[in-house]
Amino acid sequence: MEADSTGGNMGGKADVEMAENPFEPYIESLRQQLEDQDPVFLIGVIVALAVIVITCVFLKYFLSSKTVRSAVLLVGLCDSGKTLLFARLLSGKFKRTQTSITDSSAPYKAKNEKGSTWTVIDLPGHDSLRPQYLEKFKSAARAIVFVIDSAIFQKEVRDVAEFLYILLTDTVISRNAPALLVACNKQDITMAKSAKLIQQQLEKELNTLRVTRSAALSSQDGFVGGSVYLGKKGKDFEFSQLPLKVEFVECSARGSKGEEGDADIESLEKSLAKL
Amino acid sequence: MLDFFTIFSKGGIVLWCFQGAGVTESFTGPVNALIRSVILQERSGNNSYTHEALSLKYKLDNEFELIFVVGFQKILTLTYVDKFIDDIQLHFRDRYKNELEQKGALKLIQNNFEFDDDFKMLLREAEESSKARNHATMRTFKESEKSQKTVKSMIETKGGEKVKEPGGKKNKNTKKESPAAEPVKVDQGKASSSGPKVVENGNQGLTPEEIVQKNREKFILKRTMVPTAKPIHSKSPKPQKPKEKQMRVWGDRGSSTKELDYSGRNGDGSQNGGDQNQEAHIDLGMQLSSMKGDLLSVDYETSEEEEMEVEEEEKVVISETSKTSSKKGGGFGGMFGMLKGLVGSKSLTREDMESVLEKMREHLIAKNVAADISSQLCDSVAKKLEGKVMGTFTTVASTVKQALQDSLVQILQPKRRVDILRDVMEAQSQRKPFVITFCGVNGVGKSTNLAKISFWLIENGFTVLIAACDTFRAGAVEQLRTHQRRLNSLHPPQQHGGRPVVQLYEKGYGKDAAGIAMEAIAYARNQAFDVVLVDTAGRMQDNAPLMTALAKLIALNMPDLVLFVGEALVGNEAVDQLVKFNQALADHSMSDKPRLIDGIVLTKFDTIDDKVGAAISMTYITGQPIVFVGTGQTYNDLRSLNARAVVSALMKA
Repeated sequence: MEADSTGGNMGGKADVEMAENPFEPYIESLRQQLEDQDPVFLIGVIVALAVIVITCVFLKYFLSSKTVRSAVLLVGLCDSGKTLLFARLLSGKFKRTQTSITDSSAPYKAKNEKGSTWTVIDLPGHDSLRPQYLEKFKSAARAIVFVIDSAIFQKEVRDVAEFLYILLTDTVISRNAPALLVACNKQDITMAKSAKLIQQQLEKELNTLRVTRSAALSSQDGFVGGSVYLGKKGKDFEFSQLPLKVEFVECSARGSKGEEGDADIESLEKSLAKL
Repeated sequence: MLDFFTIFSKGGIVLWCFQGAGVTESFTGPVNALIRSVILQERSGNNSYTHEALSLKYKLDNEFELIFVVGFQKILTLTYVDKFIDDIQLHFRDRYKNELEQKGALKLIQNNFEFDDDFKMLLREAEESSKARNHATMRTFKESEKSQKTVKSMIETKGGEKVKEPGGKKNKNTKKESPAAEPVKVDQGKASSSGPKVVENGNQGLTPEEIVQKNREKFILKRTMVPTAKPIHSKSPKPQKPKEKQMRVWGDRGSSTKELDYSGRNGDGSQNGGDQNQEAHIDLGMQLSSMKGDLLSVDYETSEEEEMEVEEEEKVVISETSKTSSKKGGGFGGMFGMLKGLVGSKSLTREDMESVLEKMREHLIAKNVAADISSQLCDSVAKKLEGKVMGTFTTVASTVKQALQDSLVQILQPKRRVDILRDVMEAQSQRKPFVITFCGVNGVGKSTNLAKISFWLIENGFTVLIAACDTFRAGAVEQLRTHQRRLNSLHPPQQHGGRPVVQLYEKGYGKDAAGIAMEAIAYARNQAFDVVLVDTAGRMQDNAPLMTALAKLIALNMPDLVLFVGEALVGNEAVDQLVKFNQALADHSMSDKPRLIDGIVLTKFDTIDDKVGAAISMTYITGQPIVFVGTGQTYNDLRSLNARAVVSALMKA
């Protein structure tokens, strides 16, 4: 009979019916066997199958759920003071630093009652390294500390704004909505701008960037990056329009008393404690 | 003598530093410059770098992620520095192994690395050893070579030859000697390679045969002298070493014409002639029967020819490397080695990586990356990975490939912000036009891409003035005029406030390009144009007067952006073009900070499918980003560079 079915496979309805017929006696025998079995055994088999299915569903649910995000990223332009801030936060000591070429991470105990521990990660700020390290760590970010050099902010405002724009329009970051702390560093220098001024300048700059970046050329395989639109259309950009929580703090990693004294990072530590 | 010495982690924290006596400037600046120009640009193949008056040498420790940098004045030539860094590295690692082994930066921050005493001790040792080597005591007369020569041997005979007795002395490279020749046992052959001419032997101090003997031995020894420096003991009059080439005797010997009949000696005497004849016979044989039947296909023929003719050619390395790798895997020990390599942590050595790097180098060259850039890149990746501890289940090949991929992405990422529209807006607010100059060799697509860029700028609401500074090529001005007309018809003036969006500033042919550019910029400023695009004539990089003219144009007009237009089809030429263009711009500018090439336009990108190596060559050589990519000949074919896509196309097998 099987030879018949394989030989006569011309794809007609009659042929399909012909193919089903050989299986019928097998189905019949299977049904008979099942009914012959002990009902307890049958229930056991069904329960086992159900447990396996439920386990699979649970595993899938747990694996696909968001990984626990407990990282605080220190990002910013080159020479903005991220590595020194990192050292100050962790140990309070002053350390000489050079340009970082890899990331450094360490656990940090926040100064609040809960005593929660975050992993502070210091990413390199150099332009050629920035994108790949951000790619690596952005999904694990619970908070992002964006460090700005307040003394030379005026000269660098466009670079700072572009980096901030890339951060804010990144799909992963806008989905996870971590807290954004903009730390205006190097306040010990006399020419440093205040946090309020920096905020206003950045809002103006991001306003312009919304227009130019969306008009930028697409890359050669048609990929257009970051299609999130910042703020509200038609109105000037303000940080309050963002779904993320943005906070501006002033700090000085070097400290007003030079290398021996403490750093003025209390406001930063307080904000970190509020996370 | 050293200005400074620092040890810092790759994460940026300085673990220990030493500043030489009397040095007041901080070393942070030079070390940062070293990091940015060498390590981050993947030029760490050679480990020294000069920054203003300082010369910096460095060493990467990849196991603990540390960098050791020493700096000293450029004018000093300190010979002990390389060894000194190695010693310091070993010492530091041994001493602080425990702290360094912990992952995480906490220990690095909290620890105080007290290394001063060890450092001073090692420095003293290094300085003393270098001083000791300088002084060499003079030899006494007894030890010198002169005492061992006999007086008779140093008598010069009239024939202009110095015949020395061979016993007991070392061989010297006697180029002044002219080996004498006797007509008796001379066969044909080429003259010796070092070039001494055969001199007619008029008088001889010794018997002719002895002279011939000695000269033959000297000749042979000269050829075998470098590997062995043994004194010759030639007591026997007959030469026993095989002769490869014999000297040809010229001139009238006064002997019979039998001398000049070389026909007989072809068969037995010189092996050279014999070999040649045999080869000729073999060649003829091959050619005679090889064309019978149908023609062979192209691939088969070329591979056969290569194997026959050239043994050292690098092209067939792919088959050779596959042979060597199969040899490695075939052995029994090789099997265990492979398994061992997968599990457990072992640190990478240079030898492990060598074969993989060789393969990668060939792969990059096959993808149109310039040859010396591929080797520099591979050296830099090797330096970065030496001593690194691999994790479990990672092979050497995968680690090297990953590292190479990361370095390539790093090279292609721009080192500064690239946002032309924003810069144009900035210039607009300052009421001056944004000037872009296009330069490049002939036929790369300057005028076409200039038109594409002006279309893009017009679409974003800017007004453009095109300056036709190509006053040499026939039809250049008309080409730009056609583009102007087309662009104006696409964006008619009625839609843009009654004013044409594109205008052409031209002064015909044969005029000075720099003058036209200056007038065009002044015109744009008066008429409030937003952007000025300056089109220059194509010129070869070797053409000195034209390069001078280009440098003058750029130096006089100080454009905001100097774009080098290069085509993606170019191979090793890209390196030469960019180096010479930059050199010309630097040489002929009058100021301290000359305007060099600021960006690259990569054109004809649609003609290469995945041989995208030219992008790497160009960015590596200049360090400047690729600003535009041209992918066709219509106005819409303008893109920006996606580093990841290019690198994945490059690494694709």
